[in-house]
Amino acid sequence: MPQPYLSPEQRPLVELRNVHVSFGSNHVLKGIDLTVRKGDAVSIIGPSGSGKSTILRCINGLLTPERGEVVVGNTSVHTLRTEAERIALRKRIGFVFQQYNLFPHLTVLDNIVIAPIRILGVEREIAEREARELLAKVRLSDKVDAYPGQLSGGQQQRVAIARALAMHPELVLFDEVTSALDPETVGEVLSVIRQLVEDGMTCLLVTHEMRFAEEVSQQIVFTEGGEIVERGTPREIFHAPRNPRTHAFINALRN
Amino acid sequence: MPESLLTEFIGAAKSVGLNYGFLASVSERTSWLRGVVVTIELSVLSILCSLIVGTVIASLLTSGRPWLARPARAFVEVLRNTPTLVQIYCAFFVCHMLVNQSVGAQNNPMSAYAWVVIVFSIHFGAYHAEALRAGIEAVPKAMRESAISLGFSRRELLVFVELPLAFRFALPSLVNNLADLVKATSLGSAIAVGELTYASLMIWIERDNVLEMMILILLVYGALTLSVSRLGFLLEKRLRMPGYGH
Repeated sequence: MPQPYLSPEQRPLVELRNVHVSFGSNHVLKGIDLTVRKGDAVSIIGPSGSGKSTILRCINGLLTPERGEVVVGNTSVHTLRTEAERIALRKRIGFVFQQYNLFPHLTVLDNIVIAPIRILGVEREIAEREARELLAKVRLSDKVDAYPGQLSGGQQQRVAIARALAMHPELVLFDEVTSALDPETVGEVLSVIRQLVEDGMTCLLVTHEMRFAEEVSQQIVFTEGGEIVERGTPREIFHAPRNPRTHAFINALRN
Repeated sequence: MPESLLTEFIGAAKSVGLNYGFLASVSERTSWLRGVVVTIELSVLSILCSLIVGTVIASLLTSGRPWLARPARAFVEVLRNTPTLVQIYCAFFVCHMLVNQSVGAQNNPMSAYAWVVIVFSIHFGAYHAEALRAGIEAVPKAMRESAISLGFSRRELLVFVELPLAFRFALPSLVNNLADLVKATSLGSAIAVGELTYASLMIWIERDNVLEMMILILLVYGALTLSVSRLGFLLEKRLRMPGYGH
């Protein structure tokens, strides 16, 4: 008898079950369930303070939930205790921040190669060759020797994406990566992410760019007050939301 | 310097009432120049060691581990809140004697010179540590999170991100401390380390030319501290992070 076969594409890469997080008396996440399949792009939308970024922080172990399970691939993130275990996890997960957070004392090239060289032990020559390829991919080949402070926000954010990709992550988390950008540079960052999604990278995005989320995501998750209010395909969430809160949020943005 | 030029200088100085006769004596001249060299050696050695001590202490202070941070804090407070001269006396008259008692005076590997280097390294190391601590604390939390998210360990974060940034932020204060250190080497004279001040003192006792020696001392220390601050400026320029904070 052939075994029922579950292809890697169908198996979830990220799974959150009943995740609770509190900061003091502030209950930020109240039982989050979330599944991201390999190769999918999932967007988390919702009002500020609804716990969106906190979800991302639980996934790469920056935060440990007090209750619930977080599983990435074969790793139970909520059970990790040592720094070494968390490092092993973080090497597999790219994280791109709203404020780019490039290292200001290093050139663009060194920002990208420092982690592969120091953490993965890649030879400098190989790391640099790959960094140049990544910079070409994010269309910044002419900025190899520039310092972060000399770049625009959009350029810095593209370097930050290249820096995350240099670690060959299985998954990239994007935390409101266009929120700090000038409107004219948002497009260049989004097109890099779009390309990444098309290449099959698993992406989990916290975003306020509704049109973009609708265009690239397989799944949209709407959070409010630390709970997932509604989830579904972009079509369902943006054009036929069932929950009145989702409806109100989407409508408010439209107007 | 050719002997004739020296004789001419001594003559010229004498005509305006300054007695630099010691420069004509080879032995006195050599021992004074030796003092200049010792001051430079003492400064360079103490600068390097104090920077190492400061970096280590700053790392302990910001480690977030009380069992490391508390002793480091106590170390810094003791060294900052007692006079440098007293620390030198304490090292030489207490620590040195204790070593003498335990291994015997003839087997004691320490010298007054070595004690001065140790005292300066930890004394100024404590000041550097505070400057570097402020620098480490000025590294934005978000920058730390991004390094950690890339997979940096606590140690790698310190070595590749926090310290390089802290060093840049703290550089003006560090240079200030180092200029102080160069001047403080004159305290070595208190326990007969043959540095510039001590060597000059030996000469003015013999020749009663305090003013003349003071002028020389002023020139040498001035040149040394000026070099330290010039080097500091050059380093600041070299380590500049283009576009940062603008």
